[in-house]
Amino acid sequence: MLSRLFENVSRRALVLLGVLLVGLFGAPIVASDYLLTVLILILYFAYIGQAWNIMMGFAGQLSLGHALYVGLGAYTAAALYVHFGIGPWLGLLVAVPIAGLAGAFIGYLAFRFKVGGVYFAILTIAVAEFARVGFDHLSWTNGSSGLFLPVAQYTRNDLWLLRGQPVMFYYILLVAVVLAFVFCRALLQSRIGYFWLAIREDEEAARSAGIDTFRYKMIAVIISSAMTSFAGVIYAFYYNNLFPEQVFHISRSIEIILGPIVGGVGTLFGPIIGAFLLTGMSETLIAALHALGVDIPGAKQVFYGFCLLLVIAALPDGIWPWLSRRIGLSEREK
Amino acid sequence: MKRKSPSKSPSKAASVSRRVFTAGLGAVGFTAGIAPFNIVRAQGAALKVGVLLPRSGFQAGIGQDCQRGVDIAAGLLKDMGLPNLQIMNADTETNVDVARSRAEKLIGEGAQVLMGAFDSGQSSAIAQVAEQKGIPYVINIAAAPPITEQGYKFVFRNFPTAGMILGGAFTAQKEIFAAVGSAPKTAVFMHVNDTFGTSMAGGIGAVMPKFDMPYKIVETIAYDPAARDLAVEISKAKATGADALVMVSRLNDAILLTREMVKQRWSPMAIMSMGPGWYEDQYLKTLGKLADGPLSFVPWYDPNKPLSKTLEEALAKTNPGVSLNTNHVYTFEALLIAADAYKRAGSADPKALADAIRATNITNNVSPGPGIQFDAKGQNDKLKISGIQNRGGKLLTVAPKEAANAKAEWPLTPYDKRA
Repeated sequence: MLSRLFENVSRRALVLLGVLLVGLFGAPIVASDYLLTVLILILYFAYIGQAWNIMMGFAGQLSLGHALYVGLGAYTAAALYVHFGIGPWLGLLVAVPIAGLAGAFIGYLAFRFKVGGVYFAILTIAVAEFARVGFDHLSWTNGSSGLFLPVAQYTRNDLWLLRGQPVMFYYILLVAVVLAFVFCRALLQSRIGYFWLAIREDEEAARSAGIDTFRYKMIAVIISSAMTSFAGVIYAFYYNNLFPEQVFHISRSIEIILGPIVGGVGTLFGPIIGAFLLTGMSETLIAALHALGVDIPGAKQVFYGFCLLLVIAALPDGIWPWLSRRIGLSEREK
Repeated sequence: MKRKSPSKSPSKAASVSRRVFTAGLGAVGFTAGIAPFNIVRAQGAALKVGVLLPRSGFQAGIGQDCQRGVDIAAGLLKDMGLPNLQIMNADTETNVDVARSRAEKLIGEGAQVLMGAFDSGQSSAIAQVAEQKGIPYVINIAAAPPITEQGYKFVFRNFPTAGMILGGAFTAQKEIFAAVGSAPKTAVFMHVNDTFGTSMAGGIGAVMPKFDMPYKIVETIAYDPAARDLAVEISKAKATGADALVMVSRLNDAILLTREMVKQRWSPMAIMSMGPGWYEDQYLKTLGKLADGPLSFVPWYDPNKPLSKTLEEALAKTNPGVSLNTNHVYTFEALLIAADAYKRAGSADPKALADAIRATNITNNVSPGPGIQFDAKGQNDKLKISGIQNRGGKLLTVAPKEAANAKAEWPLTPYDKRA
C-alpha cells in the first residue's frame, strides 16, 4: 500500500516534499506570532481546499457551498462542547457523519435527478444559504446572536479539548494537511480515483464503460463533506465564536475554492500552493503597502481578483501544473 | 531524430544554476515579504493605538463611518490636553480570520492598545489575541454580551450590550410617555426578517414583559428587507387599528414604509424604531418633511455635553453634510479612553494601561449617562439608550431626560396634515 503511494514519484519530488515538510514543521520556531497566524490560515485553506478538490478536481462536481460543511462541523462540535462539555474530538465523531449526511443529501438530490453542472453548483449554494438562515433561527446555537465558546488564559496546550496557544492549532492543521495530502494521493492511486477521473473527463463515456457514476459521485461528495467538517471543528475551537452570517456565508465558500483554482484544480499540490500564494502574497502586499505608508482598504480583494484574472488568462490549469513543469516534476508528479 | 538526454545537455549546469537562482530569489522574496511583520518600531512619546475596523467587505460603509471618528479624534484629544496617539490602521475586511491576524500584526508592530472592531465576531477574535498578549483592547461597538463575560483582564467595552439596548429602549419609551402624558394602548410590530430583525424580534419578545409596557403588541408583521413594495404590510398594519407602530427595519424599507403610510393615509400615534433606518441621513434627506416625527431608540450621544458640541463641529468641518452618529461617537470615545488612561498611567506598559483603563472615570464625554466607567468585567454598564426624534431635518434627543435637548412632539403629526 505504502509503496503504491510513492509509485512514479521522483527522488527530486520526494526531496522537495521533505524540505517543505521540515520547513513547515520548524516554522513556528522562527515565525513571529503574526506570521504564525498567517500560516495557520494558509494551512486551514490548504486543508479545506484539498477536501473541496476531491469533489471538483477529482470527480468534476462543482460545489460552491462548501461553507455548509465547515459550518455544520463547527456548530456541531461547538454546541456539544458548550451544552454538554463534550470535547471536540468526540464532537468530531458526530460532526463528520452530520456533514457527510448533508453531502449525501445534496448528492442524492442532484445525482438521482440528473442535476449537474451549474445547476448542481446552484443547489450547493442553496443548501448552504438554507443552513445559514436556519442557524440564524436555531435557539440551541443562540441563533444570529452567535455561539461563543468559553475562553480562558491557557498556560499549557490541552490537545484533548483543543484549548491552548495558536501553535497547537498550527501543528494540528499541519498534520491534517499532510494526512489529507496522503489520503488524496492514495485515493487517486486507487480504483476509485481512476473512476472519478473518468467521470470528470466524460461521464457518459464512464457510464458506458460500466462505472456506476451515481455511486462514485456520491462517494466523492460524502468524503469531501466529511473531510471539510473537520476544518469546521478546528475553526470553532480556534476562533471560539460562531455566527451563521460569517460561517455559512457564500463568501466563505468562495474563499475555500480560490486556493485550488489558483493553484490547480485536480492536482494534489494545487490547493496547497494556492493557499500559500493567495494568503501569503496578499498579506505581503498589505505589509508592503503599509511599509510605503499607503492604506487602501480592500486591496486584498483587488489582489485576489487580479490573481484570478491572471491565472484564468495565462495559466488556465492553475499555477502548479506550470510550476511543476518548470522544476521538472510534471511528467511524474502531478 | 535522436534527442539528447536532458541529463547530458550542455545546458544542465545553467539549468541547475537557474533553479538555484530562482530558489534563492524566492527565499529573498519570502524573507523580504515577511520582514515587515517582524519590525517593531521604536516607541515614541505618542501612544500607539491599533485601530481595527471593517473598512472593506459588506460592513465597509459602517467601518468607514467609524473611521471618521478616528480621523477627527487626534485634534480633539490634543485640545483636551491628552497625549498624542499614533494611529495604526488595519482593515479587518469584515472577516473574523483577518481581524485576528491583523490584531497579531498590529501587536507585532508595536501597538500598545487595540481599538475596534464594530462587529461582535471580529471583536471577539481580537479580544482573544489581546488577552493572550496582554495588550489592552477597547471595543468601540459590539453588542454580544459574552465578549465581556469571559473573565478577560485586558478587554473593555464602552458600548451597551444587546440586553442593555433593548431594556434601555423600553425605559426611554416609558419616560417619553410620562413626559407627554399619553401612551399607546396597542401597537403593531413590524420587523425585517433578516438576521438582525429576527434577532431583535426575539429579544423584544423576551425583554418587553419585564418592563410592564402600557401597550400590547396586537400584531407582528415580518417582511423581506429587499421588498420593493410594502403596501400589503402597511394595509395589514393599518387594519389592526393599533395606536402605535413599533419598528425594526433598515434604511430602504423605512423609506418605503413611510411612503406607503402617506399613500394609505395611516398616521399612528407614534412610530417607535428600535434599529437603524428612521434616523439616518438618507432617510431625512429623501423624505424631507415626511421624515419628521418617528422616534428611534439607539445608543446615541448626549447633545447637552460640551464635548458633543465640539465633536459635532469637528465632524462638520471634516465631513460636511454628515451628521454625528453612533459610529463616530463610540469610536471617538474608545480613543478618548485610551488617551486618558495613557495620561494617568504615565506609561505605555500594557498592565499599567489596563489598570488605568479599569479605573477610568471620564465625565467629560459624549455618550449619554454619568460618564465612562467600567465594571469588574470591563463593561461600561452606566450607558443610557437615547430616544431621538426627527424634526425639521435634525435629530433631537427627547430621552433620557438628563440627555434631552427637546420635548417629544406627540402624537405624530398626521402625514396628510403636513404642509
